[in-house]
Amino acid sequence: MAVTPVPGRPAPRQAAQADPVGAPRGRLRPGSVARGAAWTLAAAVPLAFLAVFFAWPVAALVGRGFWLDGALDLGGFAEVFAETRTWRIIGITLAQAAAGTVLSVLLGVPGAYVLYRCTFRGRTFARGLVTVPFVLPTVVVGVAFRAVLAPGGPLGFLGLDQTFAAIVMALVFFNYSVVVRTVGGLWERLDPRAEQAARALGASPARAFRTVTLPALAPAIASAASIVFLFCAAAFGIVLVLGPTGYGTVETEIYVQTTQFLDLRAAAVLSVVQLVVVSGALLAANRTRARREQALALMPEASAGRPLRARRDAASLAVTVAVVLGLLALPIGTLVARSLRASDGAWTLDNYRNLATTGGRNALSVTVWEAAAISLRTAAVAAVVAVTVGVLVALVVSRRPRARSGRRALALLDSVFMLPLGVSAVTVGFGFLITLDRPLGLDVDLRTSGLLVPLAQAVVAVPLVVRVILPVLRAIDPRLREAAGTLGAPPGRVLATVDLPVMLRPLGLAIGFAFATSLGEFGATSFLARPESATLPVVIYRLIGKPGPENYGMALAASVVLALVTATVMMLAERLRGQGAGEL
Amino acid sequence: MSGQGTRDGAGLEVRDAVVRYAPSGRKGSRAAEPTTAVDGVNLTVAPGEVVALLGPSGCGKSSLLRAVAGLEPLAAGSVAWAGRPLAGVPVHRRGFGLMFQEGQLFAHRDVAGNVGYGLERGDAAVPASARAERVAELLGLVGLEGYARRGVTTLSGGERQRVALARSLAPRPGLLLLDEPLSALDRSLRERLAADLREVLVSTGTTGVFVTHDQDEAFTVADRVAVMDAGRLLQVATPEDLWARPASRTVAEFLGYQAFVPADGPDPLGVGSGDGDGGNDRGLAGTGGTAGAVLAVGPAGLLVSDDGTGPGGVPGEVVTSRLRRGRVEVTVLADLGEGRRRLTALLADPGTDAPDDGATVRLRLDPRGCAPVG
Repeated sequence: MAVTPVPGRPAPRQAAQADPVGAPRGRLRPGSVARGAAWTLAAAVPLAFLAVFFAWPVAALVGRGFWLDGALDLGGFAEVFAETRTWRIIGITLAQAAAGTVLSVLLGVPGAYVLYRCTFRGRTFARGLVTVPFVLPTVVVGVAFRAVLAPGGPLGFLGLDQTFAAIVMALVFFNYSVVVRTVGGLWERLDPRAEQAARALGASPARAFRTVTLPALAPAIASAASIVFLFCAAAFGIVLVLGPTGYGTVETEIYVQTTQFLDLRAAAVLSVVQLVVVSGALLAANRTRARREQALALMPEASAGRPLRARRDAASLAVTVAVVLGLLALPIGTLVARSLRASDGAWTLDNYRNLATTGGRNALSVTVWEAAAISLRTAAVAAVVAVTVGVLVALVVSRRPRARSGRRALALLDSVFMLPLGVSAVTVGFGFLITLDRPLGLDVDLRTSGLLVPLAQAVVAVPLVVRVILPVLRAIDPRLREAAGTLGAPPGRVLATVDLPVMLRPLGLAIGFAFATSLGEFGATSFLARPESATLPVVIYRLIGKPGPENYGMALAASVVLALVTATVMMLAERLRGQGAGEL
Repeated sequence: MSGQGTRDGAGLEVRDAVVRYAPSGRKGSRAAEPTTAVDGVNLTVAPGEVVALLGPSGCGKSSLLRAVAGLEPLAAGSVAWAGRPLAGVPVHRRGFGLMFQEGQLFAHRDVAGNVGYGLERGDAAVPASARAERVAELLGLVGLEGYARRGVTTLSGGERQRVALARSLAPRPGLLLLDEPLSALDRSLRERLAADLREVLVSTGTTGVFVTHDQDEAFTVADRVAVMDAGRLLQVATPEDLWARPASRTVAEFLGYQAFVPADGPDPLGVGSGDGDGGNDRGLAGTGGTAGAVLAVGPAGLLVSDDGTGPGGVPGEVVTSRLRRGRVEVTVLADLGEGRRRLTALLADPGTDAPDDGATVRLRLDPRGCAPVG
């Protein structure tokens, strides 16, 4: 649009006017250019980060699959798709993601109602409890579900150990909180008067819910569902630990093809398949998110909610209690209980004492405590990197340019930085290995510098940081910035006095998320961490793979330690969390 | 203390201003067309003067205000302050204050932190000691002494707006722009704050542009009122002139004139006779009765004659009567020349009882409640 210039630039018409002598216009130019440069830089830093540590490694790996003897060769597609195994794996991936998503939504919506729309004693604690699984490392979740479902476990009689059902249960365990928090966050700010109006017009509670509340929640549900679908489709650690022999998803198949069959072509083809699935889910997520941010009349503050009534809310309450106890508390409780018992069932702290060793028959290169220290150090570096990059992305994306092209560019940037959420972490990890030996021709081998693991973890954590901070920045009334402007604040001061104070509140949560995600990251780390610098999730996975009850006991104890550290980090972060911060 | 406006020569000059908004919708839909919110507006505000932009919602008055503030680019035309064109001058360099409907206070700062914001840095910066003094002075001005350390979230709606007013006045803006600053408040508070606002603007000598859709508010606060509709200025006049001579039927309708009758035609309505027993006078005394002239009948321009049987007047059927602000208002169905419609009439003699519903009464005009249009 010719009449709507980007901020900071005079409209074409105005630019064409004669510049009156003495007009203060001349002063504007340098400031406006500097501002443009600052925002370009703010966008360029994260883009460069993403390009070097995500796009390039992934492209390099995929490229190896299609680049044969110096020529493009797409024969891999035909070859891979000709195999029935490929179709079975794609089918399993989609079925697994669909089942996980549907169940998470069906169970999560009543949970959102109980935890965010009703008031009862202990609600804060219950909300915290529900959040814990999301940040638990996948490996820990896998170990916990095996402890429950294995023969001898509390639910061993169901015979579900190492089945499709076990994987779906673990995925729901993981993603329940995503649905509860996303939907609940919207629900608690929904103006209850719309539903009350429907009731006054004679609608039954069910009809009022179906015709008024549910449509209002639909964007949040759709948004949560697409994110959950993404997580379920890309699940790696859980499938590896819980899956039956021969069971594979696209993600694990990429791992198997690269590490065991050394078939980069097949891995590359599968990576592309994964990318298509992920992009589709992200596109859906983005669409619904945009609608959600515009279309709803929300209350500025969370409404007080209404007291929980055992009778009226019986169904929701029953579902939620069953999920919280059966699906969330049981595996965690079983994990803790089993970690405190020897293989003969006697109560003991031996498993924890053994954490100071390298395991039976020297299963590991470092002791578990050493691995824990490595994990903390690595996660700290990763969190710093992820938060820096994520904050820059959120700041840039939260601008509101006048030009439509500018808005489109920002929407694209927003989507691009969500990609690491769903692109196979295995692909990222393996890509790192083949590209970062001499990055950009520099004579530094990142692989031995110890930076590789934190960088890979940061790539995975950046989208979470963005998703936590961006909604808060977007929620700032633009007129607040305008008020500051009319009071004489130049753009830099507007940023420092309006955006920054608001952003500080979710920053704690963002740091917590980044730290916790990095602590539990398994897919990329398993590729990159060398035995002497293994992190806790890697150590746990190695311990389960080794024979001997001693090693299994250590894996359980190490899982408890990792879960405790992660939960503590999240509790602290939650304390720092401001009202209404973030989506996840 | 005096605002900079009193020292500047020419005040605000808006010339042929056009504001357009980029299309918001997808190609092909209606929203894909740019909307013209302000369509060639000319407006001058003298230093120290307060002008109200009055119009229905969506008429472009806020867009005009935002363009003056520098928050929307002009698609055409110009804005000048004190004789200097403002094209290309960014918001924070214009030295204008802006006050919003909901105040837009900075929630993370206390009252003093909000009021002193514009004094900390930038063109209006003053040292900390002078700032504290100025903040206290302004809080006194808006009647909030001792509120400096209060958090803004603990304030009532009226107090918030007072803080917002103090905040925008603190840097001594040459021009204060007020975007419906009282609309979010309840009626009694609104009326009181409007009077206070007028007093503060006059005592500080601040030049102001005040956007509102409420004519009572506009008339209370402003020296002159600019009526706007569909992006254009229809009339700019003092409240008295505006009410006495609305420039067009649209302006009159917006002001609340309820019917229009030819000013020079036969006069069964008793135009021009204040006592109601005539009915044979012609034209409205003093308006000259030019051909085609129209008389607007105001909310107090129609009277119910003492009884329904007397000579003259127009018959009307009483729909209902009710007491409003101590006066009996009679809703009648009557034809004043433009078809039978619902009109509001007052009792000619306030001492009499309200007529029964369904009764037929005689209606005549009260020239004091009518105005010539154009």
